[in-house]
Amino acid sequence: MPNMPRFNFHRPGTMEEALDLVSRFRASVKVMCGGTDLVPKMRAGVAVAENVVSLTRVPGLSTISYRDDDGLVIGGTARISDVARHPDVRRHYPALAYACDKMATVQIRNMGTVAGNLANAAPSADTAAPLLAYGASLVLVERGGRRQVPLEDFFTGPGLTVAEPMEIIEAIRVPAPPLRSGSAYLRVSARSKVDIAAVGVAAALNLDLEGRVIGVRIALAAVGPTPLRARQAEDMLMEQIPDHDLLARAGAACVRTAKPIDDVRASANFRRAMVQTLAQRVLARCGRLARGEDAQ
Amino acid sequence: MAKEIIELIVNGDRYEVAVEPWRTLAEVLREDLNLTGTKIGCNQGDCGACTVLMEGRSVSSCLTLAAEAHQREIVTIEGLAQGPEDLHPLQEAFVEHGAVQCGYCTPGMILSAKHLLDHNPTPSEQEIRQGLSGNLCRCTGYSKIVEAIGAAAAKMAPAGEGE
Amino acid sequence: MNHNPKIIGASIPRLDGKDKVTGRALYTDDLKFPGMLYGALHRSRLPHARIKKVDTSAAKKIKGVKDVVTGADTPQIKYGNWRLVPGSQDELPLAVDKVRFIGDEIAAVCAVDRETAIKAAEAIEVEYEELPAIYSVEEATAEGAPLLHDESPGNVSLTREISYGDLEGLLAQADYVREDFFKVHAVSHAYLEPCSSIAVPEEGGRVTLYTSTQTPYIVQCLLASTLDIPENHVRVVKTQVGGGFGGKMEMRPWEFAAAFMALRTGRPVKFTLTRSDELAFGRRRHPMSIRSKVGFTKDGKLLAKDFEVMLDGGAYNAMGPTATFLCGTFGNMLYNFQAYRYRGRHVYTNKPPASAMRGFGAPQAAFAQESQMNMAAEELGIDPIDLRLINAMETGDVIPDVATISSCGFKESLEKVRQVSGWDAKRKEKKPGVGLGIGCFSFISGGVFNWFNTKYNFAAAEVTVYPDGTAQLNTMACDIGQGPDTVLRQILAAELGIGIEKIRLVSMDTALTPKADLGTWGSRVTLMNGNAIIDAAKKIKDMLKPVLFDHLDLNQIHEIAFEDDRVLVKANPKKSMSFGECVYHALRGRRGEPLTARGYYTPRDKGLVSPAFSFGAQVAEVAVDQDTGLVTVTNTYTAHDCGVAINKMAVEGQLEGAIQMGLGYTLSEAFVMEQGRTLNTSFLDYKMPAAEDMPPSTYVEVETYEPEGPFGAKEAGEGLAIPTAPAIADAVYQATGFRALELPITPEKVLKGIGRLK
Repeated sequence: MPNMPRFNFHRPGTMEEALDLVSRFRASVKVMCGGTDLVPKMRAGVAVAENVVSLTRVPGLSTISYRDDDGLVIGGTARISDVARHPDVRRHYPALAYACDKMATVQIRNMGTVAGNLANAAPSADTAAPLLAYGASLVLVERGGRRQVPLEDFFTGPGLTVAEPMEIIEAIRVPAPPLRSGSAYLRVSARSKVDIAAVGVAAALNLDLEGRVIGVRIALAAVGPTPLRARQAEDMLMEQIPDHDLLARAGAACVRTAKPIDDVRASANFRRAMVQTLAQRVLARCGRLARGEDAQ
Repeated sequence: MAKEIIELIVNGDRYEVAVEPWRTLAEVLREDLNLTGTKIGCNQGDCGACTVLMEGRSVSSCLTLAAEAHQREIVTIEGLAQGPEDLHPLQEAFVEHGAVQCGYCTPGMILSAKHLLDHNPTPSEQEIRQGLSGNLCRCTGYSKIVEAIGAAAAKMAPAGEGE
Repeated sequence: MNHNPKIIGASIPRLDGKDKVTGRALYTDDLKFPGMLYGALHRSRLPHARIKKVDTSAAKKIKGVKDVVTGADTPQIKYGNWRLVPGSQDELPLAVDKVRFIGDEIAAVCAVDRETAIKAAEAIEVEYEELPAIYSVEEATAEGAPLLHDESPGNVSLTREISYGDLEGLLAQADYVREDFFKVHAVSHAYLEPCSSIAVPEEGGRVTLYTSTQTPYIVQCLLASTLDIPENHVRVVKTQVGGGFGGKMEMRPWEFAAAFMALRTGRPVKFTLTRSDELAFGRRRHPMSIRSKVGFTKDGKLLAKDFEVMLDGGAYNAMGPTATFLCGTFGNMLYNFQAYRYRGRHVYTNKPPASAMRGFGAPQAAFAQESQMNMAAEELGIDPIDLRLINAMETGDVIPDVATISSCGFKESLEKVRQVSGWDAKRKEKKPGVGLGIGCFSFISGGVFNWFNTKYNFAAAEVTVYPDGTAQLNTMACDIGQGPDTVLRQILAAELGIGIEKIRLVSMDTALTPKADLGTWGSRVTLMNGNAIIDAAKKIKDMLKPVLFDHLDLNQIHEIAFEDDRVLVKANPKKSMSFGECVYHALRGRRGEPLTARGYYTPRDKGLVSPAFSFGAQVAEVAVDQDTGLVTVTNTYTAHDCGVAINKMAVEGQLEGAIQMGLGYTLSEAFVMEQGRTLNTSFLDYKMPAAEDMPPSTYVEVETYEPEGPFGAKEAGEGLAIPTAPAIADAVYQATGFRALELPITPEKVLKGIGRLK
């Protein structure tokens, strides 16, 4: 295994200082929080930067807050384990809570952040699929100002995003779930309990009083260069009563959206089959939650 | 890319160490502070042998840059017992219940268990197993580790709360 | 069976436990020596190539680099564990002319720190002439395949054949004959401690090696031969070892490189491997292609078996020859039949060498044999446990040319596992997605066949007793986590009748402990070292007994006992003295000579394979998700005959650990390889089971008394690694109708097997 590449390490104590640093070093800078993604990547020679800026000492950035009118705000340095155990996340965003409970290991959840998981832009990022299903957006801040980017526009390829080197993820904003809605996330891998996902599917579903779908988002993980929205399946569900047959067809539509590859974790063929199975299960669970048939 | 002098508070002792920014906490604990109880089993954050507590949370010290631990409170396996003959209840239970074989995963297992019990003093068996999700063992099949943690929890629980 | 139940059979917590839970236990990489240098290896980047040139000039120029060596600088003496057959010794510590797998060691460097060493190793340039490479036994044995070793035509390095009885005749007269083909894959030992070694130069061209090994004596001998120095110039000291499972039982190139460069530089040199080194280049369990043909009578009597195995050995022999021999033996275990033919071939491929791994050929052979028993049972319309009972070995049975079984609890194991698992009821009720299956095992308690060609006894112990009532045990026996440091002291304590805390242990130092001990493999330590210790202790007792006769003026017909730190007259226990006092008096007459005795053990007249065999049966219960193909093992039940368990807790620990390994082998662990390159080199993608993956396990003892074992004990370490794969495979078949003939049983294979995936 090669040596860790050399870099300068910066530990700014304020957001202003942090923004100054990433702006000054934008030609070769990485923002770090827990280091759970960046350190192994640097060690493997996959990530190289002359400067690493750690955000862990920037005050006020780790807050998690929820308001019924405004939804959820996850601060840029909020740890995955803190998000997982936050009572409002557990109550209103079960798919996200599930992802944050199950991903990686206890230690990595204690170190890593949701923002980091997204910034890393792995196609298999566990928090990405649920957050896409919830219609989340990111608040990106730089020295000159801030902008809000919908999460579905954020990823551009494996490890690639629209964020500029001098931008920092200040927060993740997630709309409050509407009435009669349900959401879920499921993943599979060969080691059943503790693993990176070979395939993941998340969905959030909103029904009217008659049980017709009036809002739906489905997101697929680890079956394309980025986490994907399954729009064809979503369109198929809109205005319909989601019965078993429709869910099976929606699952098939998800498979058509997926662009899986063969890799060390699974074959493309297996991944397609799992998209079908998981999509059906996730959508069925969303429907039951939205109709109030399942407790969360 | 010069060395930086950082301050680590390890097991209550304060150390000043000059470190290069790319060195990890695991390396500095083992090589500079000679606290070799922290093991490196994979150096990739997957096996948990290097687990230490930082500000009370279990972390993989092989993924933590030493510079990131500046002025943080760290507990390693060497800091768990009160005195040389005085084992922490988790340590005692690991010995008594046969939870130790080759011993290489043991320090990390015990610190993960400590983190678990600090947050959940009366875990179910399932919760114990989940609490060990980041610690691999090749010898024991985990059974006796899970048993030992349950026994330590029962022993540590205030009267009336234990199983 | 006159032994102390407070010591023999007790669950005594391991004596090094306290050091291990406090972080005080020292493993090799924890050690530092003044002036120590750090080593790094340059490994082959190609699977098969001729080395045209190794350019070390850039590496040598790097500041802080103290030595750079290539094969050309070394004595170029080949080595291998099979010293008995020098032609089988096919490995060089550093390659000279050719490399045969990605990772083959070409050069080594040492420098003032690890980073400089790694930089220097990367700066070495090798010019190759690439050769065509082969990755499977089928390719390797095909007409015109490229040769890995010129000495081995057809890439077959070794063939073992066994044949007895009228195979063709019995198969012809059998009512029911079936032939099946099985394939099993490679897995990693995945011990948690990556290999590490430190060589310290000594005066007179001698060297001391601290190393993570399970065979210090083998390392001593082979290090001396490859360095071309006398054996006694090498001292091997084993530190705490973080697991081995067969993966640390050979001399390794970094041990050679550390010692070679320590002697050249006059400074200690340390090498520590990374996990990705271990997974990419490390030893592994043999993949095998197995053909098995069996014939039965219609009422289930097994008549004959034709068993053929090709072992994928990778680039070198390593411990492959032993696995080739043992596969033939294991194909012949558990059941009695009249005719057997075995043909095992060890085949070279351009992959990291396979070697010994827990079970040593048995997990592979048993996957085929036990799966085939289950398949035959179904077609014969006989319950699989009944079919086994019809054919099961018993005490006194003879395995032709191999051994006489001196204790066997196989039938009892079958009965007990049937009962405790609720087999009869559960097999009757067919629930889709849920199933129950069985696999059985037998394993050796140490090997008889002296492939290492040692001139010494297989096990030795030196016991010294002191007037303060304490004793010292010196033994080369190797604790790599399985517990002999505790178990062997239990045996000595029981034999001498003193408390276990009275015994100081000096172990695993080739300069201080008596010659020899072949190390920890083949489940040999408890039986062989236990016997050597008892031999030494008996000699000590013979030296102490006269003291009592003298002091108490006993009639010569009296028997003397050693119990509770006292030496006493059996017929009148009040007539006694303390153990220490007895030693004191014995010493008085010895004119200053300490009370020391040596004991030895080498199996005599016990056939060619092993002095004793363990037996057992395991039932696994699974739930299969028929949409995802995920198999969850929901329960395991094991009945196990390990003779008398010396330490019950340690035996349970072996069982539970073996299930973890068996589960990984069956369901999730595999190397993903492409053109000889291993793609999954982290524990993230090499998927061994975590705590949440483990099923509950129920364990039933079947206690037999093994006359050849110390206090009736036999092996408990490896046999348990065998039955899990066939038991799970059978359970998956019961749950889904899909019979896996290849491992691992991945979700994808299950879905394909049940027609849910093309």
